[in-house]
Amino acid sequence: MSLYRTMLLSLAGGAAALLATASANAATPDIEGAKKLIEAHSALPSFVPPGEPFDAKKCMKGKKLLTIPVSSANPFTKNIATAMIAVGKQIGFEVKEWENQAQPTQWVQGMEFAINNHFDAIDLLGGVNPQVLGPQIAQAKKAGIKIYTSHLYDTIQKPDPSVDLSMQVAYHDVGTILASWATLKTNGKVNAVIVGSDEIIPTAPFVKGITDGLKTICGPDCKFTYINAPVPEWSTKIKTGVQSALIADPTINYIIPIYDSMSQFVIPALTITGRKDVKIATFNGTPFVIDEIQKGKVEMDVGESLGWIARSVLDGYMRDMCGLKTYSALYVPFYLFDSSNAKNAGTPADFDRGYGDQHVAGYEKLWMLK
Amino acid sequence: MTEALATPSPRRGFNWVRFLEAYALVFALVLLGAVFGALRPESFLSWANISTMLGSQAVLVVLTMALIIPLTAGDFDLSVASMLTLSAMIIAVLNAQMGYSLLVSMIVAVAVGVVLGIVNAWFILYFRIPSLIVTLGTGTFVNGIVLWMSGSMTISGLDDALTEWVVVRRVAGIPLAFYYAVALCAVIWYFFGYTTPGRRLLFVGRGREVARLSGIRVDRVRLFSLITSSVLAAGAGIMYAGTIGAADPLSGLTFLLPGFAASFLGATSISPGRFNPWGSLVAVYFLVIGITGLTILGIQTFVQNLFYGGGLVLAVALSQLVRKREAQDFT
Repeated sequence: MSLYRTMLLSLAGGAAALLATASANAATPDIEGAKKLIEAHSALPSFVPPGEPFDAKKCMKGKKLLTIPVSSANPFTKNIATAMIAVGKQIGFEVKEWENQAQPTQWVQGMEFAINNHFDAIDLLGGVNPQVLGPQIAQAKKAGIKIYTSHLYDTIQKPDPSVDLSMQVAYHDVGTILASWATLKTNGKVNAVIVGSDEIIPTAPFVKGITDGLKTICGPDCKFTYINAPVPEWSTKIKTGVQSALIADPTINYIIPIYDSMSQFVIPALTITGRKDVKIATFNGTPFVIDEIQKGKVEMDVGESLGWIARSVLDGYMRDMCGLKTYSALYVPFYLFDSSNAKNAGTPADFDRGYGDQHVAGYEKLWMLK
Repeated sequence: MTEALATPSPRRGFNWVRFLEAYALVFALVLLGAVFGALRPESFLSWANISTMLGSQAVLVVLTMALIIPLTAGDFDLSVASMLTLSAMIIAVLNAQMGYSLLVSMIVAVAVGVVLGIVNAWFILYFRIPSLIVTLGTGTFVNGIVLWMSGSMTISGLDDALTEWVVVRRVAGIPLAFYYAVALCAVIWYFFGYTTPGRRLLFVGRGREVARLSGIRVDRVRLFSLITSSVLAAGAGIMYAGTIGAADPLSGLTFLLPGFAASFLGATSISPGRFNPWGSLVAVYFLVIGITGLTILGIQTFVQNLFYGGGLVLAVALSQLVRKREAQDFT
């Protein structure tokens, strides 16, 4: 229980403060509450141990984990996988990445590779839907292999029952942060276009986090419209959709693309419609978007440290593989990049820079490596 | 006899069927615009919307032009979207990451277009492999190069001058990109209709053996068409980089099918039965008006796909009805 309390405190300290303020004062817009939440996520994250220490080197000896990222061509998942491999090496057990280009047939091959090579566990990382691997998961479980997913489900979603453990992300909290940011910056007069991709599993709770936030924090004077752009059609639908929305309603003042790589299609929509006054607030901390913050084209990006994600994923898995009590809420702080701190991520920005390095020493201590 | 010579030959009546066939898509475009304009006059008919529609799809127009040249000569070039992506990425890597000037970066991108055209032509003409197979392979190969050179990352930080000269600067409120696309259509229209190489291209497409027996160097014509296609695709890549101010390794590939759709839809209009630039231009904007209108009305995203796919099949089918269902030969 203390584990969950610790995690809750570290992940959503600001959210709790906001809720307290919101309940005490139901009047909207709740500018003060929004300000507190934004300040909480603007401070460099500090490491709070998410559980009891354990001797990772000893209990993981000889164990093997295969990680199948949704795509090795996707820098977000690729870099998490690369960090997991490096951390595994440091601890002394094998983490192998199954290189693929987002084709389910390649994921099937990866599952079969893990079964034939006697891996102890398989990690479906960052978007591999276990529902498309039903027969392979059944086969793997028969062979005694544990099936994990990471960075896929929201903490308020129920993972597929075939999965042994899911390291889930509080996407809806990110939604609250984005709603608070827009509320604060417009002084409670948000008219936003939210851009999402409905086929991505956590999109629904993420968007709900934003819309609920706009209703409860910003209030009835705030408006939003939603554009659904499936991933393969980002280049065609986002630009035209945002352009049309801006033309149909000239009072729009915020675009919230929920995944920051969408920004590259939102920026030209603002350029071509001549609406440089419209701001972009988004989520993921992808380097080129932080570069755009430095150039003033994106206002804010909620980032996650990929090294932190990799360590939290492994921490959860190792606890399960070692028979210890584990947890399912991924421990990764959400940190805001805006014009005041975007340069800390490097110029050009780099993955995993600008978040501080408390997690490195923190996890080493937690795993009794030092 | 004298009388007969003196009598003016009976003037042939206006061919309504041909006229309707040639301009059906234009009428459909106007009708569609009128319907959306009636439903949402304040936003759909605003100059801001019209200029945005015209400017934002210029990349697709240029890519469609890159497709219709080899299609006219009877070759498919499936590598155009990959070349577009490679060209944008070359500019991003050279200009944003390595600090080369925009001009040098663009010259390199176009030069790589020439090289890809030669490679495609060499495999197609020397080994006698169908163009569909060769360009499918080279396109996939190029996609690999793009992923490698970009590290699978989106690269931003391009010289603002490129964006400036593509979408920021405007004439009559319309971004320059639109004028580049229209100018290209005019050049290709002149080339197809009023130059010897253009007519040769058409002859080669209509019948290679007949063209060869007529003394046309068929292989040389096809080599030219494949190089031009890759160079124009490189140009589309430059415009794409200028439109989004960045380059990413995947999104450009999504232009391939809309490009083909516009090419085939365009071949039912203006000069029916032939791939032609003005028909393709009308086709692109027919699709764009439909998509934009549906978006402004707030119709769900799947309806856009129904419009794209359904629009293509229906337009070609209607054109066939007008032609009394005679077999079509697009080459």
